[in-house]
Amino acid sequence: MMAENDVAPVDVHVRGLSHVYRTPEGPITVIDGLDLDVIGPAHVAVTGPSGAGKSTLLAVLGGLDRAQEGSITVGGIDVTSLSGDDLARYRRDTVGFVFQHYGLLGTCTALENVELALSFTGGPTRLRRARALELLDAVGLSARASHRPASLSGGEAQRVAVARALANRPRLILADEPTGNLDDDSTERILELLHALPRDVGCTLITVTHNRAVADRADRRLQLRNGRLVDESAPSRKGVA
Amino acid sequence: MSWRDAFALARRSVYRRLGRAVLTILAVTLAAALLTSLLVLAGAARTRVLNQLSKGGPLAGIQVAAAAPNLGQLDRDSPQPGPPKPLDDVALRRIRALRGVASVIAVEQAPIVVIPPTRIPRALQAVASRKPGTIQTTMIGTELQDASKLPISIISGRLPAPNAQTEVAVTETFLQRYGIGKRDAATVVGMQLEIGSPRKYAFGNVRVRGRWTKQTIVGVVAQQAANGEVLTGASSVEAARSWTAGGEQIGDSIGPDSSPYAGLFVIAAGLDQIGPVRSRITQVGYSTSAPENLINSVQRYLHVIEIVLSGIGVIALVIAGLGITNAMLASVRERRREIGVLKAIGARDRDVRHVFLLEAGLLGLAGGLLGTVGGWGIARTLGSVVNRYLSHQGLVGVQVGMPAVVALGGIVGATVLALLAGTVPAQRAAGLPARQAMGDE
Ligand SMILES: Nc1ncnc2c1ncn2[C@@H]1O[C@H](COP(=O)(O)OP(=O)(O)O)[C@@H](O)[C@H]1O
Ligand SMILES: [Mg+2]
Repeated sequence: MMAENDVAPVDVHVRGLSHVYRTPEGPITVIDGLDLDVIGPAHVAVTGPSGAGKSTLLAVLGGLDRAQEGSITVGGIDVTSLSGDDLARYRRDTVGFVFQHYGLLGTCTALENVELALSFTGGPTRLRRARALELLDAVGLSARASHRPASLSGGEAQRVAVARALANRPRLILADEPTGNLDDDSTERILELLHALPRDVGCTLITVTHNRAVADRADRRLQLRNGRLVDESAPSRKGVA
Repeated sequence: MSWRDAFALARRSVYRRLGRAVLTILAVTLAAALLTSLLVLAGAARTRVLNQLSKGGPLAGIQVAAAAPNLGQLDRDSPQPGPPKPLDDVALRRIRALRGVASVIAVEQAPIVVIPPTRIPRALQAVASRKPGTIQTTMIGTELQDASKLPISIISGRLPAPNAQTEVAVTETFLQRYGIGKRDAATVVGMQLEIGSPRKYAFGNVRVRGRWTKQTIVGVVAQQAANGEVLTGASSVEAARSWTAGGEQIGDSIGPDSSPYAGLFVIAAGLDQIGPVRSRITQVGYSTSAPENLINSVQRYLHVIEIVLSGIGVIALVIAGLGITNAMLASVRERRREIGVLKAIGARDRDVRHVFLLEAGLLGLAGGLLGTVGGWGIARTLGSVVNRYLSHQGLVGVQVGMPAVVALGGIVGATVLALLAGTVPAQRAAGLPARQAMGDE
């Protein structure tokens, strides 16, 4: 799809990350002294049973949640030190999210959903529109530009979401169960789309999944167990630090 | 995110949930309609009253009595007049020429003898407690085209037609002669009276001859224009008067009143002219009365009424505002994930706040626009009801117009209130954690 590598590769370094949810029933330690090193561009899959803390890890990496303990650097940015507008800028410029539920705004068309991500960086409307159309074209959905999410299939909606995630040329793509709601054909299509990104665009992709087939596509497979990551992939493969 | 982009998002959001937004908008619409219609009507009433005060009409009039001024009571609205002093054409011309005088309506008078019919209408018979014999009284007359400027109001029936020679209206004093009150005023309408103008001849003994005409009572009025029981057009009174004046002056029992005019009604060029004109008339030498102090109180009361009415409208708007707050809080709760997604793709807290504020503002704007239009419609409708009543009373109708200030105030007021109502939900939305994007249930 994208012809040239258009972003600089990014490295992810996590040290001693811990995350505890305080609930009325008592604290739940979800992440417990986790370390992670990814040299980009790479495709890393994180597996683990439901409730293992995979989404929590992605949230903290992507700046959706503040790290409680430990340090995270993404492309030299000390994510743990960011807050407020700086954190918003980090999410806008450095990270692209793909959610299991697509996360499209039902009130906007496919094109408007992609444009929305571009609206946070400003710039002329005309250029934004052109870029959004280009992105939709890249995921094979230019014919559906004026459709609202309700009239798209799950696979199509997720492709719009991928286009939106790529809008601001992020160096780190975080996908949380991106195929969790999709049938086999759509899953295959999304996987191809995502998997090609590190090679074509140069970004680093971290996919959370409990689907073995999905995990097998990655350069490197990690399992989240007892709050830490265990490397399950062959040591020689790409992306291993 | 620019305001324009935030607005586009808010607009889409309102538009796509229009069904739900309609209820919220409706509440704002009703409140804004209430506020603007109250203000429009209060404004119409105020303009009407002020017009009356400033451009003629009973309240702006200065009554000039056929009497000298009482120098001790010049600052009173209705001073006790001094000794009687004839009000003639010379005085009328002098007063008409005074600075600050817009127009002068003369009220003429003539002594008359009234012979009521022997057979009285059945309806009157049923309520009358007595029956008068021959009545000696005064007939007053004026150019009835100008009647609306005089302190005359119709209790029943109508005023005599301006040039009719056989139509009269009677006052409450006449009703008292039958022992009936205002409530039964309608029973004398349609009755025929024999009205005679007396003329005295002195051939040894004093003899009286009348010039008799048959007159129909077409209405009953309450009036403070001058003393007199029978009201008719100026020409009828002049005719009666000249007949009487053709007789001889013997004593003053029935002869023509020494003053041709019972009084004058002077209309000042403006509200602020009432005082100066009064003192000029005093210099000419006549007693005046005018509701100067009353006018000031009326203006104050009008203002109080406006404050009260807008208070009611504002309360309605506040309630509508609470409705907006409530609806938007529910909306924020429902859209937690969407808000999280906005933040995940780069929205700052303030971007989210702006979107929700604009959404509230849009609801307010829509309600304000619809409500102002609706309020105008309501005011027009009520205005035409009021006008029907006024014209029935022989009065000029009110002009119901939508002043730009009220229209703008209704729209801007509703929008600002909605923005205020939206601050809490917008703040709550802005404060939601970005983590909501992951959609944990
Ligand atoms: N906001 C929260 N408050 C309390 N507990 C939470 C919260 N979010 C997640 N958890 C708990 O933390 C654990 C890990 O959740 P999550 O990261 O979503 O796991 P996964 O994505 O691997 O299924 C779960 O047991 C979940 O119930
Ligand atoms: Mg999860």
